[in-house]
Amino acid sequence: MPGALSRAAAIIGAAEADEIGYPATPKTALQLHIEAIKNVSEQTGIPISRIDGVFSAGWSSQLAEHLGLRPKYIDTTSVGGCSFEMHVHHALAAIHAGIIDVALISHGENGWSARATGGRGTGRPRGAPDPWDPGQQFQAVYGVAGAPSNYAHAMTRHNYRFGSTPEDFAHIAVVTRQWAMLNPRAIMFSKETNPGGGPITVEDVQNSRVVAWPLTLLHCCLVTDYGGAVLVARPEIARSVKTKPVWIAGAGESMGHQNMLEMEDFTATSAAASAAAAYRMAGMGPEDMEMAMIYDSFTVTAGITAEMLGLAPRGEGFMLWKDGRAAPGGKFPINTNGGGLSFNHSGMYGMQLLVEAYRQLSRTAEDGVTGLPGKQVDARSCIVNGTGGSLSTTGTLILVAD
Amino acid sequence: MAYTKPIPDPDPVHRPYWEGAREGKLMLPRCTTCNRVHWYPRLLCPFCHSREIEWIEASGEGRIHTFAVQHRAFGGWADEVPFVTAYIDLHEGDRMFTVLRGVDPTKPETIRIGAKVRVEFERANDEVSIPFWRVVEE
Ligand SMILES: [Zn+2]
Repeated sequence: MPGALSRAAAIIGAAEADEIGYPATPKTALQLHIEAIKNVSEQTGIPISRIDGVFSAGWSSQLAEHLGLRPKYIDTTSVGGCSFEMHVHHALAAIHAGIIDVALISHGENGWSARATGGRGTGRPRGAPDPWDPGQQFQAVYGVAGAPSNYAHAMTRHNYRFGSTPEDFAHIAVVTRQWAMLNPRAIMFSKETNPGGGPITVEDVQNSRVVAWPLTLLHCCLVTDYGGAVLVARPEIARSVKTKPVWIAGAGESMGHQNMLEMEDFTATSAAASAAAAYRMAGMGPEDMEMAMIYDSFTVTAGITAEMLGLAPRGEGFMLWKDGRAAPGGKFPINTNGGGLSFNHSGMYGMQLLVEAYRQLSRTAEDGVTGLPGKQVDARSCIVNGTGGSLSTTGTLILVAD
Repeated sequence: MAYTKPIPDPDPVHRPYWEGAREGKLMLPRCTTCNRVHWYPRLLCPFCHSREIEWIEASGEGRIHTFAVQHRAFGGWADEVPFVTAYIDLHEGDRMFTVLRGVDPTKPETIRIGAKVRVEFERANDEVSIPFWRVVEE
Protein backbone atom coordinates (compact mmCIF):
# COMPACT_ATOMS: atom_id res chain seq x y z
CA MET A 1 0.00 0.00 0.00
CA PRO A 2 1.40 3.44 -0.90
CA GLY A 3 2.53 5.77 1.89
CA ALA A 4 0.71 8.97 2.88
CA LEU A 5 3.02 11.20 0.82
CA SER A 6 2.64 9.19 -2.38
CA ARG A 7 1.13 11.44 -5.11
CA ALA A 8 0.61 14.27 -2.60
CA ALA A 9 2.20 16.51 -5.25
CA ALA A 10 3.18 16.46 -8.91
CA ILE A 11 5.87 17.92 -11.08
CA ILE A 12 3.89 20.27 -13.32
CA GLY A 13 6.64 21.59 -15.55
CA ALA A 14 10.34 21.27 -16.29
CA ALA A 15 12.34 23.71 -18.37
CA GLU A 16 15.92 24.46 -19.33
CA ALA A 17 17.87 27.67 -19.73
CA ASP A 18 17.78 29.27 -23.20
CA GLU A 19 21.22 27.92 -24.00
CA ILE A 20 22.94 24.91 -22.41
CA GLY A 21 26.09 22.94 -23.14
CA TYR A 22 29.03 24.99 -24.45
CA PRO A 23 27.71 28.55 -24.92
CA ALA A 24 29.78 30.72 -27.26
CA THR A 25 29.61 33.62 -24.81
CA PRO A 26 30.33 32.67 -21.18
CA LYS A 27 27.29 32.60 -18.89
CA THR A 28 26.98 32.96 -15.14
CA ALA A 29 25.26 30.37 -12.99
CA LEU A 30 22.65 32.97 -12.01
CA GLN A 31 21.77 33.61 -15.68
CA LEU A 32 21.24 29.88 -16.19
CA HIS A 33 18.97 29.72 -13.12
CA ILE A 34 16.86 32.72 -14.07
CA GLU A 35 16.38 31.72 -17.73
CA ALA A 36 15.15 28.29 -16.65
CA ILE A 37 12.83 29.75 -14.00
CA LYS A 38 11.30 32.18 -16.50
CA ASN A 39 10.87 29.34 -19.01
CA VAL A 40 9.14 26.99 -16.55
CA SER A 41 6.81 29.81 -15.50
CA GLU A 42 5.83 30.41 -19.14
CA GLN A 43 5.56 26.69 -19.85
CA THR A 44 3.11 26.07 -16.99
CA GLY A 45 1.40 29.45 -16.91
CA ILE A 46 2.18 29.68 -13.19
CA PRO A 47 3.34 33.25 -12.46
CA ILE A 48 6.67 33.46 -10.63
CA SER A 49 4.85 35.44 -7.89
CA ARG A 50 2.82 32.32 -7.08
CA ILE A 51 5.93 30.35 -5.99
CA ASP A 52 5.92 30.05 -2.20
CA GLY A 53 8.73 27.54 -1.68
CA VAL A 54 12.27 27.92 -3.07
CA PHE A 55 14.63 24.95 -3.34
CA SER A 56 18.14 24.98 -4.80
CA ALA A 57 21.66 23.77 -4.08
CA GLY A 58 22.98 26.77 -2.18
CA TRP A 59 21.20 29.55 -4.10
CA SER A 60 17.76 29.80 -2.48
CA SER A 61 17.98 33.14 -0.68
CA GLN A 62 19.79 34.75 -3.61
CA LEU A 63 17.19 33.46 -6.10
CA ALA A 64 14.24 34.53 -3.94
CA GLU A 65 15.73 37.99 -3.62
CA HIS A 66 16.41 38.25 -7.35
CA LEU A 67 12.81 37.26 -8.07
CA GLY A 68 11.35 39.49 -5.36
CA LEU A 69 9.80 36.53 -3.55
CA ARG A 70 9.09 36.18 0.18
CA PRO A 71 8.91 32.37 0.35
CA LYS A 72 7.29 30.41 3.19
CA TYR A 73 9.73 27.56 2.78
CA ILE A 74 13.44 27.95 1.98
CA ASP A 75 15.64 24.90 1.41
CA THR A 76 19.12 25.15 0.00
CA THR A 77 20.33 21.58 0.55
CA SER A 78 23.60 21.22 -1.35
CA VAL A 79 25.03 17.74 -1.02
CA GLY A 80 26.15 17.17 -4.59
CA GLY A 81 24.35 16.09 -7.73
CA CYS A 82 21.51 14.31 -5.93
CA SER A 83 20.43 17.54 -4.19
CA PHE A 84 17.61 18.11 -6.69
CA GLU A 85 16.02 14.70 -6.14
CA MET A 86 16.17 15.49 -2.42
CA HIS A 87 14.55 18.89 -3.07
CA VAL A 88 11.60 17.11 -4.72
CA HIS A 89 11.35 14.86 -1.66
CA HIS A 90 11.42 17.88 0.67
CA ALA A 91 8.93 19.82 -1.46
CA LEU A 92 6.57 16.85 -1.44
CA ALA A 93 6.67 16.79 2.36
CA ALA A 94 6.23 20.58 2.66
CA ILE A 95 3.23 20.53 0.31
CA HIS A 96 1.71 17.52 2.08
CA ALA A 97 2.16 19.32 5.40
CA GLY A 98 0.19 22.27 4.03
CA ILE A 99 3.05 24.76 4.31
CA ILE A 100 3.29 25.63 0.61
CA ASP A 101 1.39 25.17 -2.67
CA VAL A 102 4.00 25.68 -5.39
CA ALA A 103 7.66 24.76 -5.01
CA LEU A 104 10.37 25.98 -7.36
CA ILE A 105 13.41 23.73 -7.68
CA SER A 106 16.17 25.45 -9.60
CA HIS A 107 19.66 24.69 -10.85
CA GLY A 108 22.19 26.90 -12.61
CA GLU A 109 25.81 25.89 -13.07
CA ASN A 110 28.37 27.22 -15.54
CA GLY A 111 30.83 24.31 -15.48
CA TRP A 112 31.91 25.17 -19.03
CA SER A 113 31.81 28.97 -18.92
CA ALA A 114 33.77 29.06 -15.65
CA ARG A 115 36.79 27.87 -17.64
CA ALA A 116 36.59 31.04 -19.70
CA THR A 117 35.86 33.36 -16.78
CA GLY A 118 38.56 32.08 -14.43
CA GLY A 119 35.95 30.69 -12.08
CA ARG A 120 33.87 33.88 -11.90
CA GLY A 121 30.09 33.71 -11.96
CA THR A 122 29.93 30.28 -10.36
CA GLY A 123 28.41 31.53 -7.11
CA ARG A 124 30.93 29.43 -5.20
CA PRO A 125 33.35 30.91 -2.70
CA ARG A 126 36.80 31.28 -4.21
CA GLY A 127 40.11 30.65 -2.50
CA ALA A 128 41.78 27.68 -0.86
CA PRO A 129 39.82 24.98 0.96
CA ASP A 130 40.04 24.80 4.76
CA PRO A 131 43.38 23.08 5.51
CA TRP A 132 41.91 21.58 8.70
CA ASP A 133 39.27 19.65 6.80
CA PRO A 134 39.97 15.89 7.11
CA GLY A 135 39.81 15.54 3.32
CA GLN A 136 42.57 18.14 2.98
CA GLN A 137 44.81 16.52 5.60
CA PHE A 138 44.32 12.87 4.69
CA GLN A 139 43.47 12.83 0.97
CA ALA A 140 44.52 16.04 -0.80
CA VAL A 141 48.03 15.47 0.55
CA TYR A 142 48.16 12.44 -1.76
CA GLY A 143 47.36 14.24 -4.99
CA VAL A 144 43.72 13.34 -5.61
CA ALA A 145 42.40 15.71 -8.25
CA GLY A 146 38.64 15.79 -8.42
CA ALA A 147 35.96 13.21 -9.01
CA PRO A 148 37.60 10.80 -11.49
CA SER A 149 40.57 10.22 -9.20
CA ASN A 150 38.18 9.06 -6.48
CA TYR A 151 35.63 7.11 -8.53
CA ALA A 152 38.34 5.03 -10.21
CA HIS A 153 38.87 3.17 -6.92
CA ALA A 154 35.26 1.92 -7.04
CA MET A 155 35.69 0.43 -10.53
CA THR A 156 38.86 -1.43 -9.45
CA ARG A 157 37.05 -2.93 -6.47
CA HIS A 158 33.98 -3.92 -8.54
CA ASN A 159 36.25 -5.64 -11.06
CA TYR A 160 38.04 -7.48 -8.24
CA ARG A 161 34.94 -8.55 -6.36
CA PHE A 162 32.64 -9.54 -9.22
CA GLY A 163 35.07 -10.37 -12.03
CA SER A 164 33.69 -7.51 -14.13
CA THR A 165 35.98 -5.59 -16.49
CA PRO A 166 36.37 -1.98 -17.61
CA GLU A 167 35.17 -3.18 -21.04
CA ASP A 168 31.90 -4.29 -19.41
CA PHE A 169 31.39 -0.77 -18.10
CA ALA A 170 32.44 0.75 -21.45
CA HIS A 171 29.15 -0.56 -22.89
CA ILE A 172 27.38 2.00 -20.69
CA ALA A 173 29.22 4.81 -22.49
CA VAL A 174 28.51 3.28 -25.92
CA VAL A 175 24.76 2.86 -25.34
CA THR A 176 24.40 6.27 -23.67
CA ARG A 177 26.02 7.81 -26.75
CA GLN A 178 23.34 6.12 -28.91
CA TRP A 179 20.70 8.03 -26.92
CA ALA A 180 22.64 11.29 -27.31
CA MET A 181 22.58 10.78 -31.09
CA LEU A 182 18.75 11.02 -30.85
CA ASN A 183 18.88 14.27 -28.85
CA PRO A 184 19.92 17.38 -30.83
CA ARG A 185 20.48 19.22 -27.51
CA ALA A 186 23.25 16.78 -26.61
CA ILE A 187 26.88 17.89 -26.85
CA MET A 188 27.80 14.57 -28.47
CA PHE A 189 24.78 14.45 -30.85
CA SER A 190 26.95 14.23 -33.97
CA LYS A 191 30.38 14.93 -35.45
CA GLU A 192 28.93 18.24 -36.65
CA THR A 193 27.94 19.40 -33.14
CA ASN A 194 31.24 18.23 -31.63
CA PRO A 195 34.37 16.65 -33.15
CA GLY A 196 34.09 13.91 -30.51
CA GLY A 197 30.37 13.34 -31.19
CA GLY A 198 28.58 10.59 -33.09
CA PRO A 199 28.83 6.83 -32.59
CA ILE A 200 31.52 5.23 -30.40
CA THR A 201 32.60 1.62 -29.79
CA VAL A 202 33.87 -0.21 -26.72
CA GLU A 203 37.34 0.01 -28.30
CA ASP A 204 37.00 3.80 -28.66
CA VAL A 205 36.11 4.03 -24.95
CA GLN A 206 39.01 1.83 -23.87
CA ASN A 207 41.50 3.53 -26.19
CA SER A 208 40.62 7.08 -25.10
CA ARG A 209 43.11 8.90 -22.87
CA VAL A 210 43.54 7.46 -19.36
CA VAL A 211 42.33 9.93 -16.72
CA ALA A 212 42.49 7.75 -13.61
CA TRP A 213 43.00 4.08 -14.43
CA PRO A 214 40.76 2.15 -14.94
CA LEU A 215 38.72 5.19 -16.05
CA THR A 216 39.52 6.53 -19.51
CA LEU A 217 38.11 9.83 -20.77
CA LEU A 218 35.00 8.25 -22.30
CA HIS A 219 34.13 6.58 -18.98
CA CYS A 220 33.81 10.14 -17.57
CA CYS A 221 31.04 12.73 -17.90
CA LEU A 222 31.19 16.03 -19.77
CA VAL A 223 31.73 19.43 -18.15
CA THR A 224 29.09 21.85 -19.50
CA ASP A 225 26.75 24.68 -18.60
CA TYR A 226 23.20 23.91 -17.52
CA GLY A 227 20.20 25.70 -16.16
CA GLY A 228 17.05 23.81 -15.26
CA ALA A 229 13.95 24.43 -13.19
CA VAL A 230 10.93 22.37 -12.21
CA LEU A 231 7.74 23.32 -10.43
CA VAL A 232 6.14 20.95 -7.91
CA ALA A 233 2.55 21.67 -6.88
CA ARG A 234 -0.33 20.21 -4.91
CA PRO A 235 -2.85 18.07 -6.89
CA GLU A 236 -5.55 20.77 -7.24
CA ILE A 237 -3.05 23.09 -8.92
CA ALA A 238 -1.52 20.27 -10.94
CA ARG A 239 -4.97 19.57 -12.44
CA SER A 240 -5.57 23.22 -13.37
CA VAL A 241 -2.44 24.13 -15.35
CA LYS A 242 -1.91 23.81 -19.11
CA THR A 243 0.95 21.30 -18.73
CA LYS A 244 0.57 17.61 -17.81
CA PRO A 245 1.29 16.53 -14.26
CA VAL A 246 3.88 13.84 -13.55
CA TRP A 247 3.09 12.32 -10.19
CA ILE A 248 5.61 11.83 -7.40
CA ALA A 249 4.70 8.30 -6.36
CA GLY A 250 7.74 7.72 -4.17
CA ALA A 251 10.75 9.56 -2.80
CA GLY A 252 13.67 8.67 -0.57
CA GLU A 253 17.13 9.86 0.32
CA SER A 254 20.16 8.59 2.20
CA MET A 255 23.93 8.78 2.44
CA GLY A 256 26.78 6.38 3.03
CA HIS A 257 29.55 8.88 3.78
CA GLN A 258 30.81 12.28 2.78
CA ASN A 259 34.50 11.52 2.31
CA MET A 260 35.45 8.38 0.40
CA LEU A 261 37.68 7.50 3.37
CA GLU A 262 34.44 6.41 5.04
CA MET A 263 33.04 4.37 2.13
CA GLU A 264 32.53 0.93 3.60
CA ASP A 265 31.81 -1.10 0.45
CA PHE A 266 33.30 0.41 -2.71
CA THR A 267 30.80 -1.53 -4.84
CA ALA A 268 27.64 -0.23 -3.13
CA THR A 269 25.96 3.11 -2.44
CA SER A 270 23.15 4.41 -0.25
CA ALA A 271 20.89 4.21 -3.32
CA ALA A 272 19.82 0.82 -1.95
CA ALA A 273 18.38 2.64 1.09
CA SER A 274 16.98 5.67 -0.75
CA ALA A 275 15.37 3.41 -3.38
CA ALA A 276 13.88 1.14 -0.69
CA ALA A 277 12.23 4.20 0.89
CA ALA A 278 10.95 5.42 -2.49
CA TYR A 279 9.58 1.99 -3.50
CA ARG A 280 7.88 1.67 -0.10
CA MET A 281 6.22 5.08 -0.39
CA ALA A 282 5.08 4.28 -3.95
CA GLY A 283 3.86 0.78 -3.12
CA MET A 284 5.82 -0.29 -6.19
CA GLY A 285 8.96 -2.31 -6.92
CA PRO A 286 11.71 -2.51 -9.54
CA GLU A 287 9.48 -4.76 -11.67
CA ASP A 288 6.98 -1.89 -12.01
CA MET A 289 9.53 0.49 -13.53
CA GLU A 290 9.44 1.04 -17.30
CA MET A 291 12.50 3.27 -17.65
CA ALA A 292 15.23 4.78 -15.49
CA MET A 293 17.19 8.00 -15.25
CA ILE A 294 20.42 7.09 -13.44
CA TYR A 295 23.19 9.53 -12.56
CA ASP A 296 26.14 8.72 -14.81
CA SER A 297 28.97 10.94 -13.69
CA PHE A 298 31.06 7.90 -14.65
CA THR A 299 30.12 4.57 -16.20
CA VAL A 300 30.83 2.94 -12.85
CA THR A 301 28.33 5.24 -11.10
CA ALA A 302 25.51 4.11 -13.39
CA GLY A 303 26.47 0.42 -13.28
CA ILE A 304 26.63 0.22 -9.48
CA THR A 305 23.46 2.30 -9.07
CA ALA A 306 21.44 0.00 -11.36
CA GLU A 307 22.33 -2.80 -8.92
CA MET A 308 21.35 -0.69 -5.91
CA LEU A 309 17.95 0.14 -7.45
CA GLY A 310 17.19 -3.57 -7.82
CA LEU A 311 17.17 -3.33 -11.63
CA ALA A 312 19.95 -5.92 -11.99
CA PRO A 313 21.58 -8.60 -9.81
CA ARG A 314 24.64 -7.62 -7.72
CA GLY A 315 27.75 -7.38 -9.83
CA GLU A 316 25.78 -7.28 -13.11
CA GLY A 317 24.40 -3.76 -13.40
CA PHE A 318 26.38 -3.15 -16.59
CA MET A 319 24.50 -6.04 -18.28
CA LEU A 320 21.46 -3.78 -18.78
CA TRP A 321 23.54 -1.80 -21.26
CA LYS A 322 25.73 -4.64 -22.57
CA ASP A 323 22.76 -6.76 -23.69
CA GLY A 324 20.94 -3.77 -25.20
CA ARG A 325 17.97 -3.54 -22.80
CA ALA A 326 18.91 0.05 -21.90
CA ALA A 327 19.54 1.09 -25.53
CA PRO A 328 17.19 2.86 -27.96
CA GLY A 329 14.62 0.25 -28.99
CA GLY A 330 15.42 -1.88 -25.91
CA LYS A 331 12.93 -3.12 -23.34
CA PHE A 332 14.16 -0.86 -20.53
CA PRO A 333 15.37 2.57 -21.66
CA ILE A 334 17.97 4.21 -19.42
CA ASN A 335 19.25 7.78 -19.69
CA THR A 336 17.21 8.70 -22.74
CA ASN A 337 18.69 12.21 -22.95
CA GLY A 338 22.20 10.90 -23.59
CA GLY A 339 23.26 11.12 -19.96
CA GLY A 340 25.96 13.04 -18.18
CA LEU A 341 28.32 11.05 -20.38
CA SER A 342 27.12 12.46 -23.72
CA PHE A 343 24.27 14.99 -23.22
CA ASN A 344 25.23 17.51 -20.54
CA HIS A 345 26.84 17.50 -17.09
CA SER A 346 27.39 20.82 -15.39
CA GLY A 347 29.00 19.44 -12.21
CA MET A 348 25.75 18.55 -10.47
CA TYR A 349 23.59 16.55 -12.87
CA GLY A 350 20.47 15.81 -10.80
CA MET A 351 18.35 18.52 -12.47
CA GLN A 352 19.06 17.12 -15.94
CA LEU A 353 17.65 13.78 -14.68
CA LEU A 354 14.47 15.48 -13.46
CA VAL A 355 13.89 17.50 -16.62
CA GLU A 356 14.28 14.43 -18.84
CA ALA A 357 12.03 12.27 -16.62
CA TYR A 358 9.34 14.97 -16.79
CA ARG A 359 9.66 15.26 -20.58
CA GLN A 360 9.33 11.50 -21.03
CA LEU A 361 6.39 10.92 -18.68
CA SER A 362 4.49 14.03 -19.84
CA ARG A 363 4.99 12.85 -23.44
CA THR A 364 6.76 16.07 -24.40
CA ALA A 365 10.19 14.63 -25.13
CA GLU A 366 9.76 15.11 -28.90
CA ASP A 367 9.17 18.86 -28.79
CA GLY A 368 9.90 19.39 -25.13
CA VAL A 369 10.16 22.67 -23.36
CA THR A 370 10.82 25.86 -25.30
CA GLY A 371 10.43 23.76 -28.45
CA LEU A 372 13.64 21.78 -27.99
CA PRO A 373 13.50 18.26 -29.44
CA GLY A 374 14.52 14.87 -28.03
CA LYS A 375 13.52 11.22 -28.32
CA GLN A 376 10.21 10.10 -26.81
CA VAL A 377 10.01 6.57 -25.37
CA ASP A 378 6.95 4.60 -24.39
CA ALA A 379 7.15 4.47 -20.58
CA ARG A 380 4.65 5.38 -17.88
CA SER A 381 6.91 4.99 -14.84
CA CYS A 382 10.48 6.08 -14.24
CA ILE A 383 12.90 5.61 -11.38
CA VAL A 384 15.23 8.60 -11.03
CA ASN A 385 18.38 8.34 -8.94
CA GLY A 386 20.85 11.10 -8.21
CA THR A 387 24.29 10.44 -6.70
CA GLY A 388 26.35 13.17 -5.04
CA GLY A 389 29.89 13.61 -3.79
CA SER A 390 32.16 10.57 -4.06
CA LEU A 391 29.40 7.95 -4.36
CA SER A 392 28.34 9.59 -1.09
CA THR A 393 24.74 10.82 -1.07
CA THR A 394 21.68 9.60 -2.98
CA GLY A 395 18.14 10.74 -3.74
CA THR A 396 15.62 8.47 -5.43
CA LEU A 397 12.24 9.35 -6.98
CA ILE A 398 9.57 7.18 -8.49
CA LEU A 399 7.64 9.23 -11.03
CA VAL A 400 4.53 8.10 -12.88
CA ALA A 401 2.58 9.49 -15.83
CA ASP A 402 -0.89 10.97 -15.29
CA MET B 1 65.44 18.02 -2.57
CA ALA B 2 62.57 20.22 -1.41
CA TYR B 3 59.19 18.58 -0.96
CA THR B 4 56.97 20.22 -3.61
CA LYS B 5 53.64 18.50 -2.89
CA PRO B 6 50.91 19.61 -0.44
CA ILE B 7 52.03 19.64 3.19
CA PRO B 8 49.29 19.24 5.79
CA ASP B 9 48.52 21.92 8.35
CA PRO B 10 47.57 19.75 11.36
CA ASP B 11 44.57 20.83 13.40
CA PRO B 12 44.30 20.11 17.17
CA VAL B 13 42.25 16.90 16.75
CA HIS B 14 44.67 15.45 14.20
CA ARG B 15 47.93 16.68 15.74
CA PRO B 16 48.96 13.46 17.57
CA TYR B 17 48.94 11.66 14.23
CA TRP B 18 51.26 14.18 12.59
CA GLU B 19 53.50 14.40 15.68
CA GLY B 20 53.86 10.63 15.55
CA ALA B 21 54.62 10.71 11.84
CA ARG B 22 57.44 13.19 12.45
CA GLU B 23 59.02 10.59 14.74
CA GLY B 24 58.43 7.73 12.31
CA LYS B 25 55.46 6.27 14.18
CA LEU B 26 51.99 5.54 12.84
CA MET B 27 49.62 6.75 15.56
CA LEU B 28 45.94 5.82 15.45
CA PRO B 29 42.96 6.87 17.58
CA ARG B 30 41.30 4.09 19.59
CA CYS B 31 38.16 4.32 21.69
CA THR B 32 38.76 2.92 25.17
CA THR B 33 35.03 2.25 25.63
CA CYS B 34 34.52 -0.11 22.67
CA ASN B 35 38.26 -0.69 21.94
CA ARG B 36 37.85 -0.06 18.22
CA VAL B 37 40.34 1.91 16.13
CA HIS B 38 38.85 4.51 13.78
CA TRP B 39 40.20 6.59 10.92
CA TYR B 40 40.04 9.59 10.37
CA PRO B 41 40.33 11.07 13.92
CA ARG B 42 37.06 12.05 15.60
CA LEU B 43 35.84 14.07 18.56
CA LEU B 44 33.50 11.19 19.40
CA CYS B 45 34.03 7.50 18.61
CA PRO B 46 32.04 6.92 15.37
CA PHE B 47 31.06 3.43 16.56
CA CYS B 48 29.81 3.98 20.15
CA HIS B 49 29.96 7.80 20.50
CA SER B 50 32.20 7.71 23.56
CA ARG B 51 34.52 10.66 24.23
CA GLU B 52 37.18 8.35 25.64
CA ILE B 53 39.71 8.20 22.83
CA GLU B 54 43.41 7.40 23.19
CA TRP B 55 46.22 7.33 20.66
CA ILE B 56 48.10 4.07 20.10
CA GLU B 57 51.19 3.27 18.08
CA ALA B 58 50.05 1.00 15.24
CA SER B 59 51.93 -1.91 13.68
CA GLY B 60 52.29 0.03 10.43
CA GLU B 61 50.96 -2.96 8.49
CA GLY B 62 47.94 -3.27 6.27
CA ARG B 63 46.58 -4.60 2.98
CA ILE B 64 45.44 -2.95 -0.27
CA HIS B 65 41.64 -2.58 -0.31
CA THR B 66 41.44 -0.96 -3.74
CA PHE B 67 43.57 1.30 -5.93
CA ALA B 68 43.67 3.53 -9.00
CA VAL B 69 46.40 5.01 -11.20
CA GLN B 70 46.30 8.79 -11.38
CA HIS B 71 47.23 10.14 -14.82
CA ARG B 72 46.12 13.69 -14.05
CA ALA B 73 47.07 15.73 -10.99
CA PHE B 74 47.73 19.28 -9.93
CA GLY B 75 50.59 21.16 -8.25
CA GLY B 76 53.60 19.11 -7.18
CA TRP B 77 51.80 15.85 -7.89
CA ALA B 78 51.47 16.75 -11.58
CA ASP B 79 55.21 16.04 -11.93
CA GLU B 80 54.74 12.50 -10.59
CA VAL B 81 52.02 11.18 -12.90
CA PRO B 82 51.27 8.37 -13.34
CA PHE B 83 51.19 7.35 -9.67
CA VAL B 84 49.13 4.80 -7.76
CA THR B 85 46.67 5.84 -5.05
CA ALA B 86 45.18 3.24 -2.73
CA TYR B 87 42.90 2.67 0.20
CA ILE B 88 44.65 0.57 2.86
CA ASP B 89 42.85 -1.75 5.27
CA LEU B 90 44.84 -1.17 8.47
CA HIS B 91 45.89 -4.18 10.55
CA GLU B 92 44.27 -2.49 13.57
CA GLY B 93 41.02 -1.84 11.67
CA ASP B 94 39.44 0.88 9.49
CA ARG B 95 40.97 2.32 6.35
CA MET B 96 43.46 4.97 5.22
CA PHE B 97 44.25 6.66 1.88
CA THR B 98 47.75 6.86 0.47
CA VAL B 99 50.06 6.96 -2.51
CA LEU B 100 51.40 3.45 -2.95
CA ARG B 101 55.10 2.72 -3.34
CA GLY B 102 56.88 -0.35 -4.64
CA VAL B 103 54.48 -0.75 -7.58
CA ASP B 104 54.70 -0.05 -11.32
CA PRO B 105 52.01 2.47 -12.30
CA THR B 106 52.42 1.54 -15.97
CA LYS B 107 51.43 -2.07 -15.17
CA PRO B 108 48.29 -1.82 -12.98
CA GLU B 109 47.45 -5.45 -13.78
CA THR B 110 50.45 -6.48 -11.64
CA ILE B 111 49.08 -4.71 -8.54
CA ARG B 112 47.12 -7.05 -6.30
CA ILE B 113 44.18 -6.14 -4.05
CA GLY B 114 44.92 -7.77 -0.68
CA ALA B 115 48.69 -7.36 -1.05
CA LYS B 116 50.57 -6.65 2.18
CA VAL B 117 51.84 -3.10 2.67
CA ARG B 118 53.96 -1.34 5.28
CA VAL B 119 54.06 2.32 6.20
CA GLU B 120 57.10 4.53 5.69
CA PHE B 121 57.57 8.25 6.20
CA GLU B 122 58.92 10.99 3.95
CA ARG B 123 60.19 14.20 5.51
CA ALA B 124 58.35 17.21 3.98
CA ASN B 125 59.88 19.91 6.24
CA ASP B 126 61.21 20.26 9.82
CA GLU B 127 57.69 19.97 11.27
CA VAL B 128 55.95 17.45 9.05
CA SER B 129 56.67 13.96 7.72
CA ILE B 130 54.11 12.26 5.51
CA PRO B 131 53.19 8.56 5.69
CA PHE B 132 53.30 6.49 2.49
CA TRP B 133 52.64 2.78 2.13
CA ARG B 134 54.88 0.32 0.30
CA VAL B 135 54.04 -3.14 -1.01
CA VAL B 136 56.19 -5.71 0.87
CA GLU B 137 56.80 -9.47 0.81
CA GLU B 138 54.24 -11.62 2.67
ZN1 LIG C 1 33.78 3.43 20.79
